[in-house]
Amino acid sequence: MTTTASRWRRSLGLAIAGVSMLAVSAAAAAEVTVWCWDPNFNGATMKEAAARYTAAHPDVTFNIVDFAKADLEQKLQAQLASGTTEGLPDIVLIEDYGAQKYLQSFPGAFEPLTGKVDYTGFAPYKVELATLNGQTYSLPFDSGVTGFFYRSDYLKDAGYDDAALQDITWDKFIEIGKDVEAKTGHKLISLDLNDAGLLRIMLQSAGAWYFTPDGQSAIAGNAKFKAALTNFAHVLQSGVYKQVAGWNDYTGAFTSGEVSGTVTGVWMTGTIKAQPDQSGKWGVAPIPKLDGVEGATHASNLGGSSWYVIASSAEKAEATDFLATVWGKDVDFYQKILINQGALGSLLAAREGEAFKASDAFFGGQAVWQNFSDWLAAIPGVNYGIFTNEADAAVIAQIPALKDGGDIDAAIAAIDAQVKQQTQ
Amino acid sequence: MTDQALPLSTTRTERRTTRAFNFPHLAGRTALYLLLSIAAFVSIFPFFWMIVSATNTAADINTGKATFGTALWDNTVAFFTQVDAPRIFWNSAFLAIVGTVLTLAVSSLAGYGFEMFKNRFRERIFGLLLLMLSIPFAALMVPLFIMMANFKLINTYAAILLPAIASIFIIFYFRQATKAFPSELREAAKIDGLNEWQIFLFIYLPVMRSTYAAAIIIVFMANWNNYLWPLIVLQTNEQKTITLVIQSLSSAYYPDYGVVMVGTVLATLPTLIIFFLLQRRFVEGMLGAVK
Amino acid sequence: MAQAKLARDEQLNGWLFIMPALVLVGIFMIYPILWSLWMSFQTGRGMNFSFGGLANIERLTQDPVFQRALTNTLIFLVIQVPIMLVLALLFATALNDSKLWGRSFFRTAIFLPCVTSLVAYSILFKSMFAVDGVINDFLMTTGLVGSPIPWLSDPFWAKVVVISAITWRWTGYNMIFYLAAMQNIDRSIYEAAKIDGIPAWARFWYITVPMLKPVILFTSVISTIGTLQLFDEVNTITLGGPSDSTLTLSLYIYNLTFKFMPSFGYAATVSYVIVVLVGILSFFQFVVARDRSK
Repeated sequence: MTTTASRWRRSLGLAIAGVSMLAVSAAAAAEVTVWCWDPNFNGATMKEAAARYTAAHPDVTFNIVDFAKADLEQKLQAQLASGTTEGLPDIVLIEDYGAQKYLQSFPGAFEPLTGKVDYTGFAPYKVELATLNGQTYSLPFDSGVTGFFYRSDYLKDAGYDDAALQDITWDKFIEIGKDVEAKTGHKLISLDLNDAGLLRIMLQSAGAWYFTPDGQSAIAGNAKFKAALTNFAHVLQSGVYKQVAGWNDYTGAFTSGEVSGTVTGVWMTGTIKAQPDQSGKWGVAPIPKLDGVEGATHASNLGGSSWYVIASSAEKAEATDFLATVWGKDVDFYQKILINQGALGSLLAAREGEAFKASDAFFGGQAVWQNFSDWLAAIPGVNYGIFTNEADAAVIAQIPALKDGGDIDAAIAAIDAQVKQQTQ
Repeated sequence: MTDQALPLSTTRTERRTTRAFNFPHLAGRTALYLLLSIAAFVSIFPFFWMIVSATNTAADINTGKATFGTALWDNTVAFFTQVDAPRIFWNSAFLAIVGTVLTLAVSSLAGYGFEMFKNRFRERIFGLLLLMLSIPFAALMVPLFIMMANFKLINTYAAILLPAIASIFIIFYFRQATKAFPSELREAAKIDGLNEWQIFLFIYLPVMRSTYAAAIIIVFMANWNNYLWPLIVLQTNEQKTITLVIQSLSSAYYPDYGVVMVGTVLATLPTLIIFFLLQRRFVEGMLGAVK
Repeated sequence: MAQAKLARDEQLNGWLFIMPALVLVGIFMIYPILWSLWMSFQTGRGMNFSFGGLANIERLTQDPVFQRALTNTLIFLVIQVPIMLVLALLFATALNDSKLWGRSFFRTAIFLPCVTSLVAYSILFKSMFAVDGVINDFLMTTGLVGSPIPWLSDPFWAKVVVISAITWRWTGYNMIFYLAAMQNIDRSIYEAAKIDGIPAWARFWYITVPMLKPVILFTSVISTIGTLQLFDEVNTITLGGPSDSTLTLSLYIYNLTFKFMPSFGYAATVSYVIVVLVGILSFFQFVVARDRSK
């Protein structure tokens, strides 16, 4: 019996030894680790960029790791918060809304790239959102320039062509939606009532945001915010949308042909074009504008992201050089990712390339990339600040009341109160 | 309540009572089967849905198609080209098996210890442990990460395994189960000259095997499906587990749900197999292991 | 003399058996817990924090989101835990009857949900409860409802989905605890009771329940803790929505730590609200259990 016991003890010892043997370092020399969140989109573009750089610098290899977007943000926040540099990548993709939150909460965590990257070549709003105290930290990647993606066949059946969608207001948009549904039976868009993206689009299209550039709440007593929220409430009350829950439901509604389109960022192009049988049946129009608001435009932004170099990275010289050469200058690279992934970068010089000028048969021969590039240049710059998620949550909490026709001023007061409470 | 058990010598009056009692009994049985059937249907349906979805294209899944399709092969091929499946499954299996063995060893020992050797001080400790169980993990992740970083364990499986081995939950479970362990067995063994460790190994362990079987299922499942913490401490593609991979696949801008469903079917299989293997142990236990 | 040595051995063994677990808990739980306890008195953003005294507790009292999360969590607790435990006990009792036809099939079927991975489970529930999903199809064809129920986009129905999902996944899990415990009950007690003509409900109430009391107490404490910490389901199926209607305390802590501007101190304070709740509720559960044993 003693032997059994000691054998048992020995095997436990072995197991513990086995566990500690797993503690091997995964780092290798001159390997640049990159975190991103969609293997078919930003992950694929990063692979293409990495291949180009490795071809010129065979000693530098890349390890591209993809996580779900929410997971990546959580990992990054946990690690930065822990104050340890252990396990961080060399380059990380961050969504633009969160840029300032990371830069301001974790000073010194990111490497300033000012002086190493030529920022004059990038869309100004992308540079601005990653700038803090005169230093710019990002290599601007994809733009979230918005458009109204629509099924041209459905809208044609209802009597609307592309010209009819130019220079419209949100009320006109609702009117068209009602008409399209009456004539074709298809709702105009799909909308997730647990998401405030549409309101953010409206706000930025008029150069407004939840916060002032110096970070104060710009919710109560802001005419632009009120106008945006009023238009948002009109849409909510109009019933021109299919109510969906979650991302898959949302994209499924328009990729399946159930609803006629969506108002979203250019990065949705890849998802829409993944239905080859719908080729020629789509179009893209500028988004409606806020009626009677000073500075209102038809251009806005939803999402979009940029690459950041981690300051503590051992390979930051290689990482910075890589971003500055491939992502910062290679116009041909941008043509390639535009064609393959539908990724619209923010490098303005890339607009002169062939791919950007080409018309797209999928969108009925429209020069969609040229259009998006033009709208991109017109996006009003705003300072997203550091509390976008908090403000979003406060807006979402009021959506049921707004949908039921609740008082706009009461909703603004409630949003303002919650934002102030949450951002103290 | 069946009357076959009654001895043949039953008097007529007794028989009548038995028969009279049979009618509600029959109705009760029917209701019972109905209830169990509904429960079984509700429980199994999502699995059916998962398997059906694995044979459909993403577009069909989105429209709620509930019949078998023809895309199973394409989905499977796509899954195996996108994912380094052997490696990922090995990672998950390694973590789950090593984690289960260590957790059961350490935690059942402690559960047994707390129940068998009671003293006031240890009771206090136990009470404290229970209170610790109630702290949400989200609140402990950041300090735990800092600690792992200081131990240089980030990016290792040790970082995942070590905090889970002493599972307060499993300690609590074994302690409660030990209350049903007949103390005469322990006394008898002591008289036979076994020491406490021998009693644990050669008496307690075999007698409590249905308890262990249930615990294995639970711990294996928890390890296999573990998500939040591995996500934080693992940094490379090579180390990812199947749960992390599926979550990553399913949250792309345009996820291919057919492929995701193949992944979920494959990820569910091992836990199913463990369950079916150990189920026999349950049945054995039911036949009266304790008696 | 021999008596004293025996007692000393008993004491020593008592410590030795629990030592490995205590050492590990000591290392991997105590430090993080002390850290978060200390943090609950700090205020600030990210790693720039300073001592704030009771400022976080004051903030709790004025935070509408916290109040929503607390209310939702308590609603889930009060409705879901009793439903699930009663069902589990019911199923376990039925399945413990060796004469039940199809016993192993039912047992397997009811346990199956808890072997699914969280990811699979959330994907499945989201797609089944979609507006055009299978559940609405079924309800419409059978004429139970006239128009599709907006399961995930209506505050009330979203709660129903979350409660159904947790019950679906965890009932079989609790049932297994009961079944395993029932096997440790001596069958002859039942046989004797049966021969004495004691009806089934009375056998259940006077034999099964008292014998299972430790396990019932265990499952109710565990389920209470599990529901008070409810996170996975709401994070993956509803994301706390629509409009915070399924936001739980744990999800709020998660948001405060990982999604919002990190507010570790305040997040830690919210976690201790859960600890206090669990402490109070567990105390009551133990008291109730003790009373019944008298």
